[in-house]
Amino acid sequence: MDKDYLIKKWLTNDLTEEEQNAFEALEDHDLHIAIIEEGKRFKASNFSDVPNFDQLEGRLEQKIPVRKLAWKRKLTIAASLLLVSFATYFLLFTDNLEHFETLATEKTTIELPDGSMATLNALTEVSYSEKKWEQKRALALNGEAYFKVAKGKVFDVITSEGTVTVVGTEFNVKQRKDYFEVICYEGIVKVVSGSHTHELTAGKTFRIYMGDASLNTTSNELPKWTLNISEFKAVPFKEVVNELERQYDISVTYDPGYAERLFTGGFVHNDLENALESLTSPQDLNYKIESSNQVRLTNGDR
Amino acid sequence: MPKELHEDICDKKRFASIYEKYIKDVHDFLYYKYGGNYSPGDKAQEAFIKLWENCKKVAFSKARSFLFTVANNMMLNEIKHQKVVLQYQKVKPKDYTYENPEFLLEKEQFLQQYQKALGNLSEEQRVAFTLSKIEGKKHSEIAEMLGVTQKVVEYRIYSAFDKLKSELKGFKLK
Repeated sequence: MDKDYLIKKWLTNDLTEEEQNAFEALEDHDLHIAIIEEGKRFKASNFSDVPNFDQLEGRLEQKIPVRKLAWKRKLTIAASLLLVSFATYFLLFTDNLEHFETLATEKTTIELPDGSMATLNALTEVSYSEKKWEQKRALALNGEAYFKVAKGKVFDVITSEGTVTVVGTEFNVKQRKDYFEVICYEGIVKVVSGSHTHELTAGKTFRIYMGDASLNTTSNELPKWTLNISEFKAVPFKEVVNELERQYDISVTYDPGYAERLFTGGFVHNDLENALESLTSPQDLNYKIESSNQVRLTNGDR
Repeated sequence: MPKELHEDICDKKRFASIYEKYIKDVHDFLYYKYGGNYSPGDKAQEAFIKLWENCKKVAFSKARSFLFTVANNMMLNEIKHQKVVLQYQKVKPKDYTYENPEFLLEKEQFLQQYQKALGNLSEEQRVAFTLSKIEGKKHSEIAEMLGVTQKVVEYRIYSAFDKLKSELKGFKLK
């Protein structure tokens, strides 16, 4: 049998009985055994001590000042990170607002971060901060929108004419030139506009027109404009026409004498002739569509 | 992926148990590789101090290979390669009262030659051979300690043995 093969197998303690006999018969057998047996005299534990854990503990404690420094460094890193995040925070929240806007004739519904819904009427802008929403539900409005607010903290609608504050409710805010109207459909809405502060319960409306505030009621369950009908109750005709212009993206000319007349009634959003008819006939006016976006109302002599 | 049982070894008790488990292996590894002149015990402890400082980053299962790598690097940073001289237990005459003095002398010479031969081995050969044949470690264990395969360990042991044998050949031991 091959000598090297036997030695290899012997070194891995893998010899069979037969191989063992062959291995013992090798001429260097004594040397082989001696190398292994005498090698044990070199055993590490005879000459070098393995230190115990108590010794290490002492050394670990000596190391503590170093660890403190490491902590200081960590703190420094944490502090600078905090600083950077604050800076980013302010940068983000002063400039990074969510912004939605509708064009004339356009309506849209947006979902706010907490699941509240805002339906925007034509030519309306809203903006809010999505990141800050959790701490403060606040939204800037320019135009008209209907809100279905999810239960939760105070919800603010901020307009140039005043602030509307609510807690879980449905309401409509209309803010147009010289015209500010809040209609509450469910829950309680608090309106702060200049010197006026009002709490509206369901079915109540609050309006400021040319600086004059008035309270009124509505029997609707949600604003008609969300169903593509505009409805007015004792609203100056000027404002009604403005709404018509926004819904159809047209420009309307009429006798200024009619501007301040109060109008009660409504018009549909999807049929201009029908809408014009419903505006003009109760007031003894005629209308003429002069081009695709020009309408003239004339004093009627029917 | 198997879930780590003890993710974090920063706990003093857990660390102490790791220490008890591996300190001898690390020490022996350093001793046989670099000899006794570079205080292998101290170096082994320094490796554990490094482990303690990094206890958050080193998982339990990685602690062993971390220790061996760190200990080895620490030793390499310190030593300038010198011949390794491992001490051997002197032949005590009383063990061999029935032997004649001539034999004792020859044995002593044999051991001196053995010492030289061990020093002449490569570090890799010496570590594998001593851990296996002197410390009685399994080949698989050594392979894990050194981060090599079992076959490599077996080859290193064989080549170490071969070299020792060729240097010790002239001695008549009976």
